[in-house]
Amino acid sequence: MTTKRFILNSSRSSQQGALINVGKESPEYLALTNSMTMAQKDMAEIGLAEGQMAMVRTEFGEAPFKCESGKVPEGMIFVPYGPPTCKLMGGDTGGTGMPTSKGWEVEVVPL
Amino acid sequence: MQKSKFLPRGRKDRTMVLVDIRETKSAKAADIFLQVRPGKDFELITILRALIKDRQVSDQAIAETGLTREVIDDLIRRMKGAKFGCVFFGMGLSMTRGKHMNSAALLTLAAEMNAFTKFVAMPMRGHGNVTGADVIMRWQTGYPFGISFSRGYPRYNPGEFSTVDVLVRGDCDAAFIIGADPGATMPQPAIDHLKRIPTIVLDPHVTHTSKLSRVHITTAPQGIAAPGTAYRMDELPMPLKPALKSPYPSDEEVVRRINEAIAKKPFWLPDGSQPQMLNAQV
Repeated sequence: MTTKRFILNSSRSSQQGALINVGKESPEYLALTNSMTMAQKDMAEIGLAEGQMAMVRTEFGEAPFKCESGKVPEGMIFVPYGPPTCKLMGGDTGGTGMPTSKGWEVEVVPL
Repeated sequence: MQKSKFLPRGRKDRTMVLVDIRETKSAKAADIFLQVRPGKDFELITILRALIKDRQVSDQAIAETGLTREVIDDLIRRMKGAKFGCVFFGMGLSMTRGKHMNSAALLTLAAEMNAFTKFVAMPMRGHGNVTGADVIMRWQTGYPFGISFSRGYPRYNPGEFSTVDVLVRGDCDAAFIIGADPGATMPQPAIDHLKRIPTIVLDPHVTHTSKLSRVHITTAPQGIAAPGTAYRMDELPMPLKPALKSPYPSDEEVVRRINEAIAKKPFWLPDGSQPQMLNAQV
């Protein structure tokens, strides 16, 4: 188990937008929204192999994601919006109506 | 890209600067990519606001944003030298720490840039016709979202009347969802409340929200099998003509039929009378 913390950003992508119209039950949409992208160096540091599942935890909840390496800054994780990211989100909007969905501090535990 | 009298070479006469916390595919389309440190948007915008007015900013404050003074000075020179500048901003500002303060700072920067040249700012919405919802609510009520009609007239208060807050607090005891899928995008506490209460969904597809709803009415998809109007991101209305026929009714028809059914029932006020605004609409 690791204690290293990462900054998780959930975001939209053109591929995700196209797959919404294919269907949210489609294997492609499910595969995309259940995958996260990390820096290769970060994955090696916490003992994560390419394609390995990892549990991502915030103070509000946890969800499993398949880990892929990509061109992202070290210490950061990127995930397309979807049902798994809902589980990580808290309900507080700080009076703005908009929940925080980027910049979460998360813990990643290889499964 | 559009060529014009003042920009005869089209794209070559324009400069695109991308500011993001990581290098995305958009970076390839940009002339300049600035990688800002996560959570430092407000700081960067505030530094830009200070420097365009020739105020002093320390090197340490600039370094915290992940950029250098040379890069920021070059950006300011380009902004002031532009004939017409436009800032497109997305949810990287509104859904991170600082939220509306980030957006407010950016809008202030755009307003202040007009002391030097023409400058505007435009929000980049997500998928679908989000702009349409904002525009219609604005000209109907004066507010873009987070509106309560519970007193018979529109009241605006994000954080109180906005969807996520109403659901998370458990204020509502029924939900009517049209053309949206909060079950796949909202925080889990909001989704949990949608499961608890009678939720009615109008959608052409089976979605995560329709799975947790009590009633799902299938409707014809707008622009494909039902006419409608979608608003482009710059708020230009685009009339949509249906290309296909659908056995399902449009969202508009379902809502109209529900309205007609409700109008036949006595209102919930003790004497059965309706507020003035509702009377005017019916």
